[in-house]
Amino acid sequence: MWAALRSRYLHLSATSLPSSSLTDRSWKLGFSGLNRTFSSSSAESSGKELLSLQEVEKVLRDVRADDVTVIPVGNQCDWADFMVIATGRSTWHIKNIAQALIYKVKQKQKGAKRLVLPSVQGQETGKWIVVDSGRVIVHALDEKARAYYNLENLWTPRTVLKEPVEELTKAFVKVRRINNSKKPAQRSA
Amino acid sequence: MIQPQTHLNVADNSGARELMCIRVIGASNRRYAHIGDVIVAVIKEAVPNTPLERSEVIRAVIVRTCKELKRDNGMIIRYDDNAAVVIDQEGNPKGTRIFGAIARELRQLNFTKIVSLAPEVL
Repeated sequence: MWAALRSRYLHLSATSLPSSSLTDRSWKLGFSGLNRTFSSSSAESSGKELLSLQEVEKVLRDVRADDVTVIPVGNQCDWADFMVIATGRSTWHIKNIAQALIYKVKQKQKGAKRLVLPSVQGQETGKWIVVDSGRVIVHALDEKARAYYNLENLWTPRTVLKEPVEELTKAFVKVRRINNSKKPAQRSA
Repeated sequence: MIQPQTHLNVADNSGARELMCIRVIGASNRRYAHIGDVIVAVIKEAVPNTPLERSEVIRAVIVRTCKELKRDNGMIIRYDDNAAVVIDQEGNPKGTRIFGAIARELRQLNFTKIVSLAPEVL
């Protein structure tokens, strides 16, 4: 597990550099990532993204994905900037959405020495496919899965629910009971 | 370090409450599972009236371990509990929400679905 992880990490940082001085620069990159977080150091160091948001939107429009929602999540989590959620009509359609995104990445990197592809999960079943292209995460789901997981609800920035403060303050105020007793108040001598 | 007979908490709303590892998936004679590994587990305790029942055999991904997780940059993460998330054969989580903090290594290990449902990523 760790070997695979490390190799992928190195692979990413190494492929992101077009220059010939691969070794020493990737060495430096490894150390510049020290104060940064683990995965973002490899993602940010690549300079440009695998897929930009505009490209993703264009691809999704071209393959006619339904109900595309783009949620900026940069202020909620540090591992991604945008969540793109799209609905596919069938399993094939969802798989085609993922394939179209991969094809776009390949087109973009045509002529490069080594291709860097986004990680794609869930391609076997096609109910929920995630294309993880660095800072933009694309979710392609079928309608059932979309309703089940309800990702929009999770990631839309929640407006802070303001409780009616007056009631709360009332609840905590101590009210002295009215003295209904007929007895005359006894003065202590 | 999760091995068969280890009891784990469940970090999602799938309906299971406690799992017991019965097999680590990977090599043929694998001893321990760490964060991001898939295990076969049996449900020891479940919430009533949920699709998952007691003594059901399921797959789960480990998301938190008491054994510390070391990163290349020297960071060490350890949690107070051993926790796992119930998944199906295809790797989709059974629950719809995940509780507690999880490590970002899960994303590298192709569990982006779990990461995208989690409230906090360390």
